[in-house]
Amino acid sequence: MSSADTDVPALIDCETAVRALYDFLDGRLSDATTDAVQHHVETCRNCASHFVFARRLLDLVPAALPLGGEAGQLRMRIVEALKADGYSRS
Amino acid sequence: MTDTIRDAAFDAVVLAALPHVVRFARSLAHDDALADDLVQETYLRAYRSWDTFTPGADARRWLFTICRNVFLRLRERDARVVDTSGDDAELESLAAAVEHGQALRSGYGDLLDRIDVAPAIRAALAQVPEVYRSAVILVDVEGNSYEAAAEVLGVPVGTVRSRLFRARRLLQQSLFTHAVDAGIVRGATPPGPGAGR
Repeated sequence: MSSADTDVPALIDCETAVRALYDFLDGRLSDATTDAVQHHVETCRNCASHFVFARRLLDLVPAALPLGGEAGQLRMRIVEALKADGYSRS
Repeated sequence: MTDTIRDAAFDAVVLAALPHVVRFARSLAHDDALADDLVQETYLRAYRSWDTFTPGADARRWLFTICRNVFLRLRERDARVVDTSGDDAELESLAAAVEHGQALRSGYGDLLDRIDVAPAIRAALAQVPEVYRSAVILVDVEGNSYEAAAEVLGVPVGTVRSRLFRARRLLQQSLFTHAVDAGIVRGATPPGPGAGR
């Protein structure tokens, strides 16, 4: 994707924009394509809703899966198993 | 290196990553007891291979690779039944948007505000086949780059991308289905697999 004037984002249609949805959200597009998608989303309410929903969902996923905590009992179990293999710490 | 120094290094680098390995194992196994066995086996293999670990390398990525390999051996037959051929990343993005559009028209596009979202996401992820789920866990949860995830999964970066996008769409589909099953929307039909194609 290119534009004769680099200050003006290229115009893209809705299908092109939503095909680039996840690459855009993951920051894996070129600067020019990012600008084009950004411009489209800012001017297309329909596509904007898709991008907002996807961004929100991706933000919620890590929060839904908290770390395994200190896993105290499991740690002790692992340490005991490791000791059988020669591990020297406790 | 004495055993004591060796073990202290293992402690500081590998055991410190335990919460992350537990989360990864639980996302693979969906059974806490099985996940604990998986984590223990991961650490045993890591300890036995500790001399091959490059100091300064990403221990978490190394542990995830071991953990997934152990899991796949345990679940080898299941891992082979998922057909991942024909994945098309851009089509997955397009389909996700189309399905979101259908959800909006059906009146449950705002489902993220209307459900207890954390348990719903956990349940939805459990429905996603492991090959796709692992991509989400490694990239969206653990914050790995596509390149790092590709290393853990032993696949090209493009495959990580297509699996990640498929997983996200399956996750979204499952949440839509959950919204209907939970009675949040009555009489609406969630988008089915392949909708928008």
